[in-house]
Amino acid sequence: MANVLIVDDSSTMRKIISRSLRQAGLAVDDIYEAGDGIEGLSVLGSKSVHLVLSDINMPNMDGLEFIKQVRGNGNGVPIVMITTEGGEDIINEAIASGASASIKKPFTPDQLNEKLGGLI
Amino acid sequence: MNLNAAVREAIHISEDEMARHVIKATKEVFSTMVMMDLEDSFPLQESVNHFHCSVSGMVGMAGTYTGILSIHCPQSFALRITSNMLGMDVEEVGEDVNDALGEIANMLGGHVKMVLSKGGTDINLSIPTVISGEEYSINAMAESDCVVVPFTHEDEKFLVSLKLRKE
Repeated sequence: MANVLIVDDSSTMRKIISRSLRQAGLAVDDIYEAGDGIEGLSVLGSKSVHLVLSDINMPNMDGLEFIKQVRGNGNGVPIVMITTEGGEDIINEAIASGASASIKKPFTPDQLNEKLGGLI
Repeated sequence: MNLNAAVREAIHISEDEMARHVIKATKEVFSTMVMMDLEDSFPLQESVNHFHCSVSGMVGMAGTYTGILSIHCPQSFALRITSNMLGMDVEEVGEDVNDALGEIANMLGGHVKMVLSKGGTDINLSIPTVISGEEYSINAMAESDCVVVPFTHEDEKFLVSLKLRKE
């Protein structure tokens, strides 16, 4: 069972992602939430997390900077971007910074299962 | 009222085609995230700027193209949308409704951004803004550079508006 951290400035989206993870039938245990990259780093520093799902467009610290900071801290936890920012250049930058994959909003539980099944 | 001429020329897209993108994106967002199936109507011939007992979620676009993607709906329907998204009853317009409508605007803005820019780096989306109230008006950019599509779900109606120009 995996502990998952959801980083998104929308509390509604965090709830939808959390619910969709359960509906997708993935082996998820605890789900932690953070409203931006700064909060996400704080959770990673205090909790055991096996997978991170992060938005890109967020205030205070966006998803791209968040990935760089996580990798800069030597943390190799898989990070999957869940974002409306579906542009190739942005996704390529996220992958180059250390993201494992990306999922475009809106999404279905089946799409989450397909993308995340190999990471959990 | 139509799509800005410079935008049409730059991306080789007609007003009808842009309206179809807005319709496709809105139906997809509502079917997957809100669990509602929608019916669309013909785009309006006039911009709508004044709202009564409504909630408006907006996201700005800046860069090669500048614009605003907005969703305007009655407060009663905003409560239904938010309740569906959260999976619980929401009875007051407040933080949850603002967040839900802002996120819908954000997803619709992301779709339009991809229509305008395949790479995605020459247009930035703003953090969503949401306003609500008994009576309010929204005035931004030229009224003519606008596509407005009405949608219905059961007995509820709402609008999705795209104002756009090329810099």
